[in-house]
Amino acid sequence: MFKKILIANRGEIAVRVIKACREMGIFSVAVYSDVDRRSLHVQMADEAVPIGPAPAIESYLSMDRLIAAARATEAEAIHPGYGFLAENSDFALRCEKERIVFIGPSSKALELVGDKVRARQTMEKAHVPIIPGMKSIPKDMSEYEAAARKLGYPVMIKASAGGGGKGMRIICGEQELRPGLEAGRREAKSAFGDESVYLEKYIEEPRHVEFQILADNYGNSVHLFERECSIQRRHQKIVEESPSQALDPKLRTKMGETAKKVVAAAGYNNAGTVEFLLDKNKNFFFLEVNARLQVEHPVTELCTGVDLVHQQIRIAAGEKLSFRQADLAQRGHALECRIYAEDPTNNFLPSSGKILFLKEPKGPGVRHDCGIYSGWEVPIYYDPILAKLIVWAENRESACRRMLAALDDYAILGISTSIGFLKDIISHPEFKAGRTNTGFIKNHFEDWREREKGGDPLRLALAAAAFDALNSGPSGKRAAGETQKTAVSPWQTLGHWRLGEGR
Amino acid sequence: MEFEFFINNEPRKISLEKKEDGYHIADGERMMRADIQSISPNMLSLLVDGRSYLIYMARDKDKKYIYIEGQQFVVQDPGREAKSFHGGDEKSQAGDLLITAPMPGKVIKINVAERQEVRKNQTLAIVEAMKMENEIKSSVEGFVKKIFVSAGELVDSEKPLIELEAKK
Repeated sequence: MFKKILIANRGEIAVRVIKACREMGIFSVAVYSDVDRRSLHVQMADEAVPIGPAPAIESYLSMDRLIAAARATEAEAIHPGYGFLAENSDFALRCEKERIVFIGPSSKALELVGDKVRARQTMEKAHVPIIPGMKSIPKDMSEYEAAARKLGYPVMIKASAGGGGKGMRIICGEQELRPGLEAGRREAKSAFGDESVYLEKYIEEPRHVEFQILADNYGNSVHLFERECSIQRRHQKIVEESPSQALDPKLRTKMGETAKKVVAAAGYNNAGTVEFLLDKNKNFFFLEVNARLQVEHPVTELCTGVDLVHQQIRIAAGEKLSFRQADLAQRGHALECRIYAEDPTNNFLPSSGKILFLKEPKGPGVRHDCGIYSGWEVPIYYDPILAKLIVWAENRESACRRMLAALDDYAILGISTSIGFLKDIISHPEFKAGRTNTGFIKNHFEDWREREKGGDPLRLALAAAAFDALNSGPSGKRAAGETQKTAVSPWQTLGHWRLGEGR
Repeated sequence: MEFEFFINNEPRKISLEKKEDGYHIADGERMMRADIQSISPNMLSLLVDGRSYLIYMARDKDKKYIYIEGQQFVVQDPGREAKSFHGGDEKSQAGDLLITAPMPGKVIKINVAERQEVRKNQTLAIVEAMKMENEIKSSVEGFVKKIFVSAGELVDSEKPLIELEAKK
């Protein structure tokens, strides 16, 4: 097993991996850009190395600096988290050459599945159903136009190196194609360093159902069942759950076995996710392999009892899978809500600023994977994900109730977040009924407004503000988080006494 | 004592008096009596007729962020804020529109030129923040009067980007 791992990421996922390292008795090395010195992952890790200026391209995406940091700290392995270099085959190859273990698939497998276009070719050959669309990256505009016409609008622009919605656009007509491609290319370039985009037929209102897989370096693989991630906005998942309401045991087995076929066809190792779109008639299409630990991995962890980060590290260290498909079962129901720094009342634009106060939700079956704390400034340079709230309960209905209670118990003050919006999603009758598809937000939340606030909570909020003004003195100024006068410890006031004094 | 605040941008009055039997809260006709305990600089515990409320509070300059029963409020002292409400009226009277950055970020592209004619909903500029591109669209039909920024520039929230003149 490794003695020391460098985590080439930031935020909640870096914290998640650092925790796994600690549990496994492995030293962790954090890396940070200039604006992340005060970030939680830096505080949590055993060691921390600065890797450059705020823009990711000069820090978290700088292979040279990451490799140098690993060398300097003698880390034997690098965990890339998700995003940044997680699915970059050049980086995996570079690690292989430098004899640093990349905790993820081999550069070869990564190159294949990371190139969405090549992956589509491979899967088609392996008789895995794929979405109709381009099977190569065109050289000029006319090829895109011809392909779009042949597929029929609407079509979807996708980044060949993509993931997380970056570079993706739905195009409804020819006049939207050129600007869409331009924007998609720019986003893809800045997010992945690769501007290739291609077109696929847009499948209307499918469910997004994905299978978690684990594959060791010896050809053994298992799937850990599905996650449904249909609740998306701007192609970004915001609520995920397992199991999916759309699968019966037969379909689940069929899709799970197909996911394993995908893994075998790609020669894939370590943890990964095979994404499918499931249409209204329960036909499923291979979408892509997410060759990394996913944001929504905790949902699977809670339902299967398998720690995916531990497994990733074990597999990377050369261990064989210690369980087989027959050993795995789904238990209960898990839900995840992604907490973004965004303003639902201002068209969901990113919001940055200082988190003045954080109250984390707690309780039985509640997990909070978090990269923030009271007093932390949210930088504008990175993905707006702040934290993830995950709950588990015996069944879906209880899980929804638990999620709502946890969201009510969750306060992030000082910046805008999606918490209020998430509450309205979870309590929506169609969501409760399990009638979810990727059009859910568009169909039910297009004109969403924050609920009118009033009554006693508003009255008491005013009273609290008045109380604060009364008690903060004439200057009216007291810094947030400022401590009151030092309390005197009761131990200091007890006077002389002795422990265990015999009679 | 009477207090006046802007709560979520609406002006509201409230009265709070400390009496022998606790705090008396008066909101118009509605009267409440509360036992208020400061638990920490960020937490207040209120007991109102036996009903327990936990309030989280954080302060930033003239703003107080208050969280109660799953709802968040932004409470501000009146004064400065009141002026900016009038500011909006003046602008619309002149027929000119100032397009400001909706959030801090980086200007990726300016899609229009000065004196150019623009349609309603035409994309004027693209601002990127947190790796997502956001299109800044024209709210009117008219002309581009002035452009204040250029591609590649980092902008703060509310920073003027483009001034438009609406077609009469």
